[in-house]
Amino acid sequence: MTKIAFTINGKQVSSDVEGRTLLVDLIRDELKLTGTHVGCDTSQCGCCTIQLDGDMVKSCAMLAAQADGANIVTIEGLADGDKLHAVQQAFTECHGLQCGFCTPGMIMASVGILKANPNPSDEEIVKGLEGNLCRCTGYVNIIKSVKRAAELMKV
Amino acid sequence: MYAFEYLRAGSLAEAGDLLSKNPEAKILAGGQTFIPTLKARLAQPTHVVDVARIKDLAGITVTADAVTIGAMTRHVEVGNSAEVRKAIPALAALALEIGDQQVRNRGTLGGSVANNDPAADYPSAVLALGATIITTSREIAADDFFQGMFATALAEGEIIKAIRFPIPKRAAYSKFHHPASGYAMAGAFVADTAKGVRVAITGAGASGVFRWSDAEAALAKSFAAAALAGLKVDDSNCIADLHAGSDYRAHLAAVMTKRAVQKITG
Amino acid sequence: MRLIQGHGRYASDWNMAGQLFAAVLRSPHAAARIVRIDTAAALNAPGVRAVLTHADAEQAGFKSIVGGVALKDRNGQPMKKPHYPVLAKDQVAYVGQAVAFVVAESATAAQDATELIEVEYEEQPAVVEFADAVAPGAPRVHQDIEGNVAYVHEHGDAAAVEAAFARAHRTTRLKVDSQRLVCNPMEPRACLAAFDAATGRYTLHAPSQGLIGARTHIEQITGLPAKDVDLIVEDVGGSFGIRGTPYPEYFMAMLAARTLGKPVKWVGSRSDTFLSDYHGRALALCGEVALDETGRFLAFRWTDEINLGAYAGPFGAFIGTQNVSITSHGVYAVPAVYVRSTLAYTNTTPISAYRGAGRPDIAYAIERLVDQAAFEHGFDPLELRRRNFITPAQMPFKTATGPTYDSGDFPAVMEHALKASDWAGFPARRKESEARGRLRGIGLASYLEAAGAGTFNKDQTAARVGDDGRITIFCMAGGSGQGHETTFVGVFADELGVEQGVIEYRASDLAAADLIGNGTGGSRTAAGQGSAFKALARALIEKARPLASALLGGEADYADGRFSAGGKSVGLIDLARKMARGADGRHPLDCEAEASSPATFPNGCHVAEVEIDPDTGVTDIIRYTSIDDLGNVLQPMLVEGQVHGGVAQGWGQVFGEHAVYDRESGQFLTASFMDYAMPRADWLKGTFTRESHPVPTATNLMGAKGVGESGCSGSLPALMNALMSAVRPLGVKDLQMPVTPVVMWRTLNQTARKAA
Repeated sequence: MTKIAFTINGKQVSSDVEGRTLLVDLIRDELKLTGTHVGCDTSQCGCCTIQLDGDMVKSCAMLAAQADGANIVTIEGLADGDKLHAVQQAFTECHGLQCGFCTPGMIMASVGILKANPNPSDEEIVKGLEGNLCRCTGYVNIIKSVKRAAELMKV
Repeated sequence: MYAFEYLRAGSLAEAGDLLSKNPEAKILAGGQTFIPTLKARLAQPTHVVDVARIKDLAGITVTADAVTIGAMTRHVEVGNSAEVRKAIPALAALALEIGDQQVRNRGTLGGSVANNDPAADYPSAVLALGATIITTSREIAADDFFQGMFATALAEGEIIKAIRFPIPKRAAYSKFHHPASGYAMAGAFVADTAKGVRVAITGAGASGVFRWSDAEAALAKSFAAAALAGLKVDDSNCIADLHAGSDYRAHLAAVMTKRAVQKITG
Repeated sequence: MRLIQGHGRYASDWNMAGQLFAAVLRSPHAAARIVRIDTAAALNAPGVRAVLTHADAEQAGFKSIVGGVALKDRNGQPMKKPHYPVLAKDQVAYVGQAVAFVVAESATAAQDATELIEVEYEEQPAVVEFADAVAPGAPRVHQDIEGNVAYVHEHGDAAAVEAAFARAHRTTRLKVDSQRLVCNPMEPRACLAAFDAATGRYTLHAPSQGLIGARTHIEQITGLPAKDVDLIVEDVGGSFGIRGTPYPEYFMAMLAARTLGKPVKWVGSRSDTFLSDYHGRALALCGEVALDETGRFLAFRWTDEINLGAYAGPFGAFIGTQNVSITSHGVYAVPAVYVRSTLAYTNTTPISAYRGAGRPDIAYAIERLVDQAAFEHGFDPLELRRRNFITPAQMPFKTATGPTYDSGDFPAVMEHALKASDWAGFPARRKESEARGRLRGIGLASYLEAAGAGTFNKDQTAARVGDDGRITIFCMAGGSGQGHETTFVGVFADELGVEQGVIEYRASDLAAADLIGNGTGGSRTAAGQGSAFKALARALIEKARPLASALLGGEADYADGRFSAGGKSVGLIDLARKMARGADGRHPLDCEAEASSPATFPNGCHVAEVEIDPDTGVTDIIRYTSIDDLGNVLQPMLVEGQVHGGVAQGWGQVFGEHAVYDRESGQFLTASFMDYAMPRADWLKGTFTRESHPVPTATNLMGAKGVGESGCSGSLPALMNALMSAVRPLGVKDLQMPVTPVVMWRTLNQTARKAA
């Protein structure tokens, strides 16, 4: 077992983890933050995307032990109290989700896109979403949502 | 995943020590290939030695004639490095073609090169640029480093510290993404270097990354896409699987080479 | 709102105190006899609490997994359905079939223990393709089904079709594959089962599209009365047809929960999805059309080959029979149609409904056939369609296959699409592409499908009024991203003329309202449940009217949410607030309603324009236009989202998705996202234009026709016709899905070689 400590959504947590415990399993099963989803086992779908030390990563492709000392934000920690993050706001406005399962990962990936590039073109958005799968929306309204979020963030 | 013990090395010396004490240990870098491998129960190490935080393995240094990148430098850092973009823009561009943003935020140069996946991107840059792999015990020329699918010149316990890329006169990378996995179905890195034109093909070769000497010779005579007309990659050593036959991969390798040259010549 | 903040509750998000975890051992073989199963080592592994096999399921009295509707052919022969055990008994018939169910104190312990179960298999030869399964001397998937043929379905008038072909001026024949797909909702299956020994009741969390259907299946398979199972479904991460019925893991988790006295949780992986979720499509349709000298269609003949997989899945047999038959002449007036489908078992994962379940397949086959006929006989493809469309003047139109189309304006919808897609400007655009070394094509499809047919002949709804006057409404359709909440609350509030804020929607809550009604599926909820909610609003008004009249002292009129009489008025919600509950706890305005909504016929015209890079074989979608007659559109943004999603799934089938099995070994070769190409955000390179062309139906209260499956029905033929249009000039005779880049490149190469 490895003792680890990290910050998640502003809270300090510590845990004893097995070597093979994935970060996503720690987040979901122990910390009960079930907004981060698991949609595949080959790190292709991006449903488990979280922010780690400012960067978007797939929490299913990380051991929990690797997160020791990290600052993590999950979908639950994205809003500022009652105020939705601009990306969450935009997904709501533009009907950027249907079943909602890929949505937390899509939103986190979109935050990552806009962090690196506040004014992305359609092509840049599409490239930024290459690590995320959605089966419902055909992506059309997701791309629209990211563009809308970019506008909202400018205001 | 099978059970294993996680160990974090704070220094190269400690990493060497942990590896020698545990013969069935494996090195963990960014983990973007290794962790999925563990999840699929395709590997069963007793210990996993995390080297990602070793300070000696970090950092990018640019001199007049070379860019040296620490093994644990993440793809995103290479891709967004102003210095790399200035010195070898093709290398920065390649880094931003790997995987997806999440993978680039974790995956490392050293991890990719040490693994030598036949469909990985970095090996093509290392080979085409004639880079030198600096390890804990020696320096290895790219031409000697890659030894077939998932095989390299690295000895047991030997760790890549950094890779030194000579700055070419001009270079470009062109990649055809596998429709499902996003890996390279064929990728061509073309470099016009002080030691001549070098063309490295990844994704297509059944023995991993390889140099396409016919193209190198033709481009040495005339550095233009037209010089490649009629040239074919030998498909007898190309990968054939359910996604594509060796003929298609060989063909794509030639097309990607042409497109890389066009990127340079405009 | 919940879903964008990570507060959704999908099946795997539920936990219970003291829960145990399960893992499934699956068959590594496509066909094998099970000689022996030894669970001793697994049982002794750390943390393992139980290892259940077929013996346990049999002892519990579990019956065969239900293989859908009871079919009888024209000779009175029933469909041959093998026993489909919850866990494999003495044989395994496909890779991934569930063999054992391990329960342990942690998910990893359960997973580790599956590797300790010793199963001695005696491998048998496997057949995975339809043609191999029905070939003489083929290995039998089930010993008692000779020739592997489950059923031969016939529909229509064979003799009339024969006669039409005999007098035809010209004929065209085209066989198209609709390859096997994995439905891949983003949420892998999961369940959490608990048993309360005191009450004898089970609680089950599992993803489901429809509560009533799911409970019925649970009762049929486990023998437990449906009323003893509380199936709780909040959020479902995509269904697409395959989440209509429960799966073996759910029954086993229930059994384990009862045996061990602890809740049991199972969370499937994507690998479980690929191997053990029902597959989709897996059929081939061979169409023939007979034409007279003017190009009028005289008859269609369909000879279909349906690969059922190893067993009869819940809707498996439905696809190749009813669903490919009812609309088998599409939007055209065809005097005679005959359908003959052969359904065969193979050593592959059983199929069931996937977005359209046969309807996109037949729409695809018809529109490819019409284009092919136009090409072969020198007709303009638009003109040939115009000549054969059923016209609005002919509505209602009694088809040769049975159903009566109630409404639709197919010619106008096509003209709308031609205009919206600038069809006329295509030749110039093609020239421009050619100048860049690209091949450009444009394709069109006028599709029609039958939507809304459900298992129940009615849908019930209920309203429960709170002391604060707020109204909660209920029905039995399970949502998974369709936006039921928005749609149903909208319909109900609009009909009442009240603010949506005072209405709350709850799906599938049997404790609050014991209703019957169809699950989500067949693009039916807007028409079906939508109508039932409209009826519910009307029922509520009528229930309130006498109470309002008494209060106001005169016969009350109702408008815009208020009753008024003699200059006085009261709002409905205020009235509700004033009323006291009865002795039975019911609010006086609590009410129920129902509506019967027959099948509807959504239709439309999709136009795809593509550009092919002959160097790589990659096709880009330059523009996509979808003009749909979905009847009245209740929520335009939701409807648009449904079409986008359906078209993207169609794109997936046309360009990449394929569940590939090794023909010899029966191994499943594309069983992960590394090998199975899903549509990603880059599927559409150009613009997506979508417009409605509503011709409302009078057969349900909403005038809606349904949208869920139309995207697939329109996109498969439009995209494939566009590809054919791009490559026909080069001499390419045929293309079959999926047209991956390598397939396109090879096709172009071979054609060029032949021409040289």
